[in-house]
Amino acid sequence: MNRLSLTVCALLVALTVSGCGNSSRPDSDTLKIGAYSVVREVFHDGLIPAFAARWKSNTRREVQFEESYNASGAQARSIASGFDADLAILSHEGDMEILVKDGKVKRDWNSGPHRGILTNSLVVIGHRQGNPKQIKNWSDLGRPGVGVLYPDPKTSGGARWNINAIYGAALLAVPDGGKGQTDLASVRDLMSRIQANVINMDQSGRQSMANFAERQTGDAVVTYENELLLRSKEGEPIPYVIPPFTLLIESPAAIVETSVERHGNRALAEAFLEFLLSVEGQQILADYGFRPVNPEAKPSSGERPSPGKLFTMADLGGWAKVEEALYGSQGLWTTIAAERSQAHGR
Amino acid sequence: MEAHAVTSHNRGSDLALRWTTLFYLGVMVVLPMVTLCVQAASPGIEPFWRALSDPYAWHALKLTFLTAFVMVVINAVTGTATAWVLVRYDFPGRSLVNALIDLPFAVPTVVTGLMLVVLYGPSSAIGTVLGRFGWGVIYQQPGIVLALLFVSYPFVIRSVQPVLMELDRAEEEAAATLGAGAWTTFRRVTLPVLWPSILTGSGLSFSRALGEFGSVVMVAGNHPLLTKTAPLHIYGEIESGNRHAALVVSSVLLASSLLILLGLNALQRWGGVNHGD
Repeated sequence: MNRLSLTVCALLVALTVSGCGNSSRPDSDTLKIGAYSVVREVFHDGLIPAFAARWKSNTRREVQFEESYNASGAQARSIASGFDADLAILSHEGDMEILVKDGKVKRDWNSGPHRGILTNSLVVIGHRQGNPKQIKNWSDLGRPGVGVLYPDPKTSGGARWNINAIYGAALLAVPDGGKGQTDLASVRDLMSRIQANVINMDQSGRQSMANFAERQTGDAVVTYENELLLRSKEGEPIPYVIPPFTLLIESPAAIVETSVERHGNRALAEAFLEFLLSVEGQQILADYGFRPVNPEAKPSSGERPSPGKLFTMADLGGWAKVEEALYGSQGLWTTIAAERSQAHGR
Repeated sequence: MEAHAVTSHNRGSDLALRWTTLFYLGVMVVLPMVTLCVQAASPGIEPFWRALSDPYAWHALKLTFLTAFVMVVINAVTGTATAWVLVRYDFPGRSLVNALIDLPFAVPTVVTGLMLVVLYGPSSAIGTVLGRFGWGVIYQQPGIVLALLFVSYPFVIRSVQPVLMELDRAEEEAAATLGAGAWTTFRRVTLPVLWPSILTGSGLSFSRALGEFGSVVMVAGNHPLLTKTAPLHIYGEIESGNRHAALVVSSVLLASSLLILLGLNALQRWGGVNHGD
């Protein structure tokens, strides 16, 4: 009996101790990156091996990467609450601002030549082979009988890019650029007709893509251009259209000051960030379907369809303003969802 | 107690064991739950109420309870019937069927959801036929009930089965001898003995259903105020940085589950007294 209780106690102690065993010690040749899930392939298979080879030939030292990929918002919050990533690569500036507010990232992170932006992409519409529903523009997504997929903006940064694109295209089409308060009716109308056609809001952009491609759900999927190009790189192309007026996706990267201080690997982190923005790094990003921020980099596999007119989040007033206007408690998207359920109840 | 000679040595190790297990229960179960409730309540009663009366949170909770309730009604009937068949009838492959009952516990719930989408989804054969009549299962509320039925399948069966096996059949035979039909015998003689176990199984499956996430997230469609259940709402609030709202809804689920389990406990004691066990 006595021995049994001793064993139980010992087991508990062992469990507790092993839980805190892996403390990190400073090691200048290790770099931790905390990134959003969409860049997993380009980092893991493209950028990291290329950089490691270059680092070895320059310094004759191995570099070890510890990679973490997660939904952008979740990644930002985990870095804010203590995950010691040296480099934060996030979906949008709004998430980077979480880290700035927490003092993890310098206030002037976006003062460089590329304004802290690592890579660009476009919000596009993927459709079925041969485009049977004739989808060419945002308004086509609101037609009766078109099944649409985009993820839930509550959980997916990708969904926010998608919905912001629809919102922005409609808003900027209003003659005075949507500055007046009264003429939001057309914006609201488009957004609510599209929302009514949404079949399922998955938790992430990847799940939405899987639902569209593997389970053949819906007629159209709103997503990043690079997600569709990645699929065709992997041999399962999905045809897509670039709406004539769409949103330029700008995804930032920044050094997490508190982490590089603690790990003492600032030089390595800066070298990696510099590599990411170099022509070579941008070339790799382009090969994985992104639109490079460095105009000298071109995808090695032919030309991309050139977009029509593009707008940026800055044209819409910036992340904070759009977040409140769409997803706040009285936001446009929030209230549209409420309206929809009333219509459904009738 | 009098039957055992308790030595002082034994009493010491008994105490140690008792405290160790209580400590374990405290650390593993009670502490996280208390932390949750404290965090939910710490901003005060007014913010708590505001978070709870948010129409999205409120609807998510209502939907969760409604779908769980529909599932429980179905499970109570089919579960009792299944237990009945397994105990009262001998048929080839009975032990195999008996072993299959618990399998839903072994399937990761996300896979359960995926299977249901593949089987009944809008582009599946069944989904296409249903769609022609304007019906939908997946990405609609019936899909949620379907997922809950699968994940909580074993509860009622496993709770009714042992009671049925131990049931003294003399009473049923007496009823039959006195001229009662099969249904009357079941209703007047068997069911009164079974109902505490049916309620126990139902209560457990209800509790299980309140927190179900993995399968529901695949089949629900996730539309706020239509098909977003409380666990999905909670996940969404956490992911969009709204921790307090998530904690408040979680604490309501937790409290409901606790009430159900306490109720079941009381019921079992009461049922036990009633039947002179």
